[in-house]
Amino acid sequence: MTTVKNRHIRYSVSIIILGLVVYLALGFGARTFEAYCPFGGAESLWGLFTTGNFSCTLGPLNLSLMIALIGLVVISKKSFCGWACPIGFLGELFGKAGKAAWKKRPKVPRRANAWIKIMRYVVLVAALYFTYRTGELILRGYDPFFLIFSGFGHGSIGMISVIVLSLTAIGALLIPMFFCRYLCPLGAVFDPFSKLGLIKVIRNEESCTACGTCGDSCPHDIPVQTYQKVRHRDCTNCLECIDACPDKGTLQLRAGL
Amino acid sequence: MRIPGFIIPIFIAVALTGGYFLRTAFTQPTTSVIHADQSGKMSVFVVDGLKCGGTASFFSSLYDSIPGIYGITTYATEHKAVFNYEPELISQDSIKAVMEATIFFNDGTSGQVFKCLSVE
Repeated sequence: MTTVKNRHIRYSVSIIILGLVVYLALGFGARTFEAYCPFGGAESLWGLFTTGNFSCTLGPLNLSLMIALIGLVVISKKSFCGWACPIGFLGELFGKAGKAAWKKRPKVPRRANAWIKIMRYVVLVAALYFTYRTGELILRGYDPFFLIFSGFGHGSIGMISVIVLSLTAIGALLIPMFFCRYLCPLGAVFDPFSKLGLIKVIRNEESCTACGTCGDSCPHDIPVQTYQKVRHRDCTNCLECIDACPDKGTLQLRAGL
Repeated sequence: MRIPGFIIPIFIAVALTGGYFLRTAFTQPTTSVIHADQSGKMSVFVVDGLKCGGTASFFSSLYDSIPGIYGITTYATEHKAVFNYEPELISQDSIKAVMEATIFFNDGTSGQVFKCLSVE
């Protein structure tokens, strides 16, 4: 009998969300797809505090979704990123395609990985600074979410946008979750809250053989086998580690501090 | 407490739905222009082409010298403009005609920028 893996449920959710975003991007919804981007909530804060108005195409839905998702992160870590974000989903598919094409794909050394991740804070600061300074979503031309779903629409910057999106796609083929790991500013917003996540993967140290299969299966390269409670800020509760573990019951999703 | 994996998408659905309904608590205008501190008739125009801060500012500027307009508040993401106006000086049809008029741009091009979809 075939068992339903967590991945099957997760991909089903991701496909539904991706379909909804495509539906909105094609102009069928009452609002544009950008109105549903939670990162817009962070970008709108300065305009709201200083002028009482939303900047550019930002609106109340951006802000309310960001607040709701921060609440979600406190409960179940970055589950939005792993289960619902269309860019995360596309990045994961690219990563799988890259792995299929290049079986012995080298991993980024752990120390280097940690350093490069600082880039997403740089992207966050740059995105907020330029949005606050100009009142416009000036980084649209570098934003894969906007470029893909608008089809390089108004705000893209010609060949530079094409190059940025191409490099992001190539990066996703070579390094799993490339954009999420190193460049996503929303992930940087979620980081401090993710550590608090109440629902997380717990490892039973007695039954664990420390084979490392869980760590190998983690799209974010988290060494799950070294944690008793996976509090890592990058964990999206995607549950790939639980699906991969050969000793069923050793890794469990549990609620608690 | 052990949690089954299918709980995660339920939490996500609850968060997204909650976020969707929470938006009303943060509703703020994109632009707000007051020409006269008077209260007249209020009408909400749903306007195609009203989509960002830039178009909202341009939209409001079309009424800068139109008599009878006391104020305009725009909500770009909702594609709505709320007019405070004196109906004895300007009618809804006249307001609509101003927004739907052909615009002549500095680069020599021209065209209709806004289209009124409905009046609430």
